[in-house]
Amino acid sequence: MSSLKTDAHEHAIKSEPKHDCLSRRSFLIGTGAAATGTVMLTGIPGLEGKAWAAHVARYPRILIAKLSALQVERPQRFRYPDDGKNTNSMLVKLGQEAGGGIGPDRDVIAFNTLCTHMGADLGRYYKASDTALGPCPFHQSVFDLTRHGIIISGHATESLPQVLLELDGDEIWAVGMVGLIYGRYDNLAA
Amino acid sequence: MAVTTSTPFYQPVDTVTLPPINAEVLTTCCDYCVVACGYKIYRWPAEGPHGGPAKEENALNRDYPLSPLAGNWLGPNQFTQAGHNGKLHNFAIIADADADVVNVRGGHSIRGGCISQKVYSPRLATRDRLKYPLVRVNDILMPVTWDFALDIMAEVSKHVIRHHGEQAWAMKYFSYQFYENTYALTKLAFRSINTPAVAHHDHPSIVDSAPGWTDIGYDIFGACYEDFSLADCIVCSGTDPYETKTVLWNEWILKGIAKNKTKVIMINPRRTMGAAYAEKHGGLHIDLNPGSDTVVHMAIQRIIIENGWQDQAFIDKWTNNFWETDSGFGQGTRNTPWQWRTTWGKFQVDGWEDWKEWLLSQEESKPEVAARIAGIDPQKLYQAAEMMAKPREDGERPRTTIGIEKGNYWSNNYLNTVSIGTLGIILGCGGRPGRAITRFGGHQRGGSNGGPYPNLKSPYKVGGRRRNRLDLDRWLQSGQVRFAYVVGTTWVQAMAGSSALEDAFRRYTRNNPHQIRSLDKEEIIATLKRRVDSGGTVVANQDIYMVDPIGAKYADIVLPAATWGESDFTRANGERRIRLYSAFYDPPGDAKPDWKIVSMFAKKMGFSGYDWNEPNDVFEESCRFSRGGRTDYNVLRTVAMRRGMKAHELLRSYGTTGLQCPLLLDGDTILETKRLHDVERTDVPDTGPEGVTVAGKNIFAFKSHAGKLNLLKSPWSVWSDFYDFMTPKGDELWVTNGRINEIWQSGFDDTERRAYIQQRWPMNFAEIHPDDAASRGIESGDMVAIQSARVPVLKDYNLFVKSDDMSFDGQMKRGHIDLVTGQFSAVAIVTPAIKKGVVFTNFLAKNAPANAIVPRVPDPLTLNYRFKIASGTVQRMGESPFKNDFSQMSFRRRDIV
Repeated sequence: MSSLKTDAHEHAIKSEPKHDCLSRRSFLIGTGAAATGTVMLTGIPGLEGKAWAAHVARYPRILIAKLSALQVERPQRFRYPDDGKNTNSMLVKLGQEAGGGIGPDRDVIAFNTLCTHMGADLGRYYKASDTALGPCPFHQSVFDLTRHGIIISGHATESLPQVLLELDGDEIWAVGMVGLIYGRYDNLAA
Repeated sequence: MAVTTSTPFYQPVDTVTLPPINAEVLTTCCDYCVVACGYKIYRWPAEGPHGGPAKEENALNRDYPLSPLAGNWLGPNQFTQAGHNGKLHNFAIIADADADVVNVRGGHSIRGGCISQKVYSPRLATRDRLKYPLVRVNDILMPVTWDFALDIMAEVSKHVIRHHGEQAWAMKYFSYQFYENTYALTKLAFRSINTPAVAHHDHPSIVDSAPGWTDIGYDIFGACYEDFSLADCIVCSGTDPYETKTVLWNEWILKGIAKNKTKVIMINPRRTMGAAYAEKHGGLHIDLNPGSDTVVHMAIQRIIIENGWQDQAFIDKWTNNFWETDSGFGQGTRNTPWQWRTTWGKFQVDGWEDWKEWLLSQEESKPEVAARIAGIDPQKLYQAAEMMAKPREDGERPRTTIGIEKGNYWSNNYLNTVSIGTLGIILGCGGRPGRAITRFGGHQRGGSNGGPYPNLKSPYKVGGRRRNRLDLDRWLQSGQVRFAYVVGTTWVQAMAGSSALEDAFRRYTRNNPHQIRSLDKEEIIATLKRRVDSGGTVVANQDIYMVDPIGAKYADIVLPAATWGESDFTRANGERRIRLYSAFYDPPGDAKPDWKIVSMFAKKMGFSGYDWNEPNDVFEESCRFSRGGRTDYNVLRTVAMRRGMKAHELLRSYGTTGLQCPLLLDGDTILETKRLHDVERTDVPDTGPEGVTVAGKNIFAFKSHAGKLNLLKSPWSVWSDFYDFMTPKGDELWVTNGRINEIWQSGFDDTERRAYIQQRWPMNFAEIHPDDAASRGIESGDMVAIQSARVPVLKDYNLFVKSDDMSFDGQMKRGHIDLVTGQFSAVAIVTPAIKKGVVFTNFLAKNAPANAIVPRVPDPLTLNYRFKIASGTVQRMGESPFKNDFSQMSFRRRDIV
């Protein structure tokens, strides 16, 4: 298992070169909490590791699932970063490696599910065969879950906001977000 | 392969700044596609105070967080900062949530939704806007003053006109970028200089885009957007409005599908999202081979007629019989465009029965023959005919609306527009709710005509007593252009057979021995005069960004233009709706709007009539030249004068709603025109509109001398010699090109300066079918080379004496066509959404132009290029940097439903 994890991690580094990985340690330095375990977060490309850590530090750390309970292509719904409006989110083990993915296969990802065009909830529109979310019931925007929620085709002016995940043993924690949730002016303003 | 860190990654943010309740609000429209959604601009000082999340704290009039479809959500790409009166301000540019036309309640595309990122900012990707006039000295483009640059331009221009003739002074310009600019440019070229060497951004000549419809009597923008919600069947030919007319699809077509169960028929080699959605909702996708549309139309016509499903009452009332065709207004057939196209007897008919007889005698109209040529299942032809024309059980006809765009008229220009136009006639299309026939449109409609085209000066004499308008690409290639004024267009890559065109530019500019090596104005002028006298060309390029190569490599003078948002402008959209586009921030550096640059240059040329101080001066002067046209807005000036105000201010008072042209006057009331050919129109008094307005036939009937429609033949033999040559040979594939939703009339912003879109589309792409990919060892994410060694280029002027001299075979036989090489690279996307045997690529990636392999042999009847018809080989080069990198691009199919 540990060798698997190493291979996957090396692959991730290879496939996303020059993007700093945020270690649990550096994240914790930002939040002042205690380190538990050896967990890696793949950084979002183009963001320097430090800026990234500061970014994440605004957000609550919420336990959302157990890795061992996840089944491939069976999404779980959750809310993040709060229980307020527009926080519908989805966690899924895609069965193939994805940008920002965690777990031994780096295939577990999570996104806010509101279409960033006009706010339809895409939670029920997961297309496993295309690893996509959509098409949106309003105007058919579709998003690529393996590539940080980038638009495949459609009208949204932002990628789907990605929920950053952290694996702590078997526990999957939501620890931050990249991108603004539809309908909000600040992700943390409910 | 490593990804370089210089790639401009989009860095999403998770907060935005809201406009305060007292933010200034201005109106504009999107700058990009023809739909032209209404937008509001909120402007407030950068230092604040800013708005709060409660309705009473922000100018958006919304309580945050918003609910779905609330409108007025301010996303990060709708916010920017820029200078206004020299001071940094915040701007929120959002689709108008109060709109009740076009983009009702604030709908928007991905392009318009990101439009605030086009605004110049010294801190963002738009920082490379051209800011100062430049002159190429020792091959370096050096900043100079406006007077310095324009003095050189004027002296060289005068010399060229005096010693080489007006025809040697050429202008290549955008036909669409606001009435004020196009009026000024055409006044200069046509009225003051009087040169025939003028062409638009997308054609080698000033052409009629849908000439078949002109000959039939259909206007090309007759519909209103509501027609797309009212139709029972919509035929989309050569485009998918989902990909290219976003809000027309989102707001109007989807409404029809939902409420009216509209059946949408997409005719297109590519299974786009719209095609997939149409199929899922009872419609049809006719996945034809590129360029085979005419036979598809003819077969559908035959099936309709054989079943008696045609709209006979409409045909009887609204089509010309032999006498009406021949004798109307004493001009008759001898003065109609079809005769000017020099095709004696090939297209005309003596009314309905004659046309029907012709159609039924054509081999290509047989469904099985048409299906074989088009490479489709013949059943689709029967299904299509039934959806379009089969009356319901109660005898009611389906209301069918037809929309076409470039896949249709930029492949087989004349025959496709003729044959889909006659299909429109037998379906009863034109002028009635839900029964329209229209172009969907490309750019917005901002063309004004400041002077008449000097037909007699064109050297392109054709058979009979006729002339074609000058083909500027051939004119340049054959060394006749000594001065070229290039305004706002990518002349080279935007034209067909672009590699041969680039050779020509290099030959006449950089390779000429007379190059500027001084900053002394007189010496520069003398050098450039020697250049043009020795057979070379001087290029002045006016644009908002440096364009490679026309500006970066070939221009001696580069002039910085101000654009959208930097001067008040006016323009109409695809349903003839004219709006004012407000100036709202400072142009970069010393950039000036095009009309102003023309004014300064014309004065240096010694021309009178260019004393314009503000854009309204140009607009008011242009008003009377719009009379009688599709977008006749002349009454704006009349009514404004009566009210003692400026025409721009009158139009501004109509906000994002604007006015639908042509505008008629009844007393002091402005009457709008919802749809052209409105045979049921009742709002105009019996006495007709006031004298100041021109009420042409196309408003109340159709655009022929009798006010009725001409049925025309579409014989396949006119096209088949060229089509046979262009059909893939050996291991070649069809290579067609087009627009995609994320990049459309916006490439200079989207693929070059908008990080979010650059991350989605960092490089040119090519969609290829899995079977074609497998046999070439190509996977998604691989880079491919697309090449042709037989790109036909019509290199010179051919005198037309005998009837086959203008045909492709005739031109080949007489040695007027060179076969050249062309090539471009792309990242492969392997997808079943593209038809087997066809490759689809972006229509204009400047650094990998698909036009390099597009034939430069215009339709001999109409001089339109056949941009969508190319073939080439496709070879794998290796992996692209994006193949295994999750941060950019996506290789997912685009037809997921």
